[in-house]
Amino acid sequence: MNLTYNEAYSKLSTLVDEIEDDKIQLDTLAEKIKQAKELIDYCETRLRVIDSDVTTALKEPKTKKKTKE
Amino acid sequence: MAKRLRLSELIGEIDDAIQNRFAGETFWITAEITDVKKQVDKRWCFLKFIEKEGSLIKAEIKGVFWSTAFGSIERFEKLSGQPFASGLEITCHVRVRFHNRFGLDLEVLDIDHSYALGKLEQERQQTLDRLVKENPKQIRVVDGQYFTRNQSLELPIVLQRIALVTAPNSDGQRDFKQEMSNNPYGYAFSVTEFLTQIQGDNSSSLIIQKLQQIEADKENFDMVVIVRGGGSQTDFKPFDDYELSKYVAVFPLPILTGIGHDRNTSIVDLMARQHKTPTKVASSIVDHNFNFESEIMDLKDRLHITTERKMDNAKDNLLQIKRTVKAYSPSTILNKGYAIITSNDQIIIDPNDIKPDTEIKTILKNELIHSTVTKKSKNELDL
Repeated sequence: MNLTYNEAYSKLSTLVDEIEDDKIQLDTLAEKIKQAKELIDYCETRLRVIDSDVTTALKEPKTKKKTKE
Repeated sequence: MAKRLRLSELIGEIDDAIQNRFAGETFWITAEITDVKKQVDKRWCFLKFIEKEGSLIKAEIKGVFWSTAFGSIERFEKLSGQPFASGLEITCHVRVRFHNRFGLDLEVLDIDHSYALGKLEQERQQTLDRLVKENPKQIRVVDGQYFTRNQSLELPIVLQRIALVTAPNSDGQRDFKQEMSNNPYGYAFSVTEFLTQIQGDNSSSLIIQKLQQIEADKENFDMVVIVRGGGSQTDFKPFDDYELSKYVAVFPLPILTGIGHDRNTSIVDLMARQHKTPTKVASSIVDHNFNFESEIMDLKDRLHITTERKMDNAKDNLLQIKRTVKAYSPSTILNKGYAIITSNDQIIIDPNDIKPDTEIKTILKNELIHSTVTKKSKNELDL
């Protein structure tokens, strides 16, 4: 995943809108929830690690996330 | 016939003449100062007063502040945010002195601060007026409030890649970086430093050079921060410079300043987004990112609530379906004493399919009854 914060945010809010819609098909719900959770994780992680490390940080346990000097 | 005198006698006479004319008298003069040599440890200051006509110096005399008057220099620097340096025009209270070895000079007793500050304010206003006049598309003033192109640039939704312009090993540099790395949310920042002298002659063009370097690499930065430590540093002047102010006003990345001065706001501050101190610049960046994270958290909450609600609804619906299915299932029906009739293993729904002599099976709860139809008639029972 290599999104800007703007892209991630607008995708996420669209997904949440769709999930909240009562007409949503149940079989697409799980996939959308999964995508939304990934986007939340992505934003949360990217706020806390510098760009280049994001992909590895998302895969690794949380203890690796500290980047203070 | 000219007199023959020893040097000391002649100088003595000059001294007498000056004493006769000037003893006990003081004056207020307004003049430009130059060749300013401060000796902070001794609390002395030597300088020259000059008066120009065009570029020609029309009058010039040495001047001196002794320790009794040195405080007025410090006060000037504190009030104006500028160093007491060559090129200033000041009004001061003086007396004329003559020394047998060092000659004639003016001893300064005090500075007229309101004149000096007024003069500086006037110059500052001239710079501001010129900025607006020469850059009408990029700099506007409405009711004393300045609006620049730089201020109108939207801040990225998250600020992470920061170009920091500051002086090496300065308080501003330390305060800013400390506040950033100690942020309570653990946000990560990439701070690239562009270090330069930020006070004294020529610093405004050195700062411009740093901004040019940043501009050449602008895709890699979200914003620029210019900070300066407070403390005893007094030179505010580079930040009132026309060229630097203009450069900031039209700069393509948002600029946050933390130049920090009690008395006034520099022109560069007015052209950018101003914060009072380096620490406050840093905390505003952290807060900006926190606002973004809060919005993400709101979406996360909505996601959880709606998912839970949807799951509950689905469970309820399933339960309802189970009940219906059970109510209509054959075993429920047979339990109630109804029977199912089949012929050739086909359930008979239409009675016309059965003729007399047909073999049929009647399915009851626990038994099958095999029989042959002997007679058919219309159902006239009132069920």
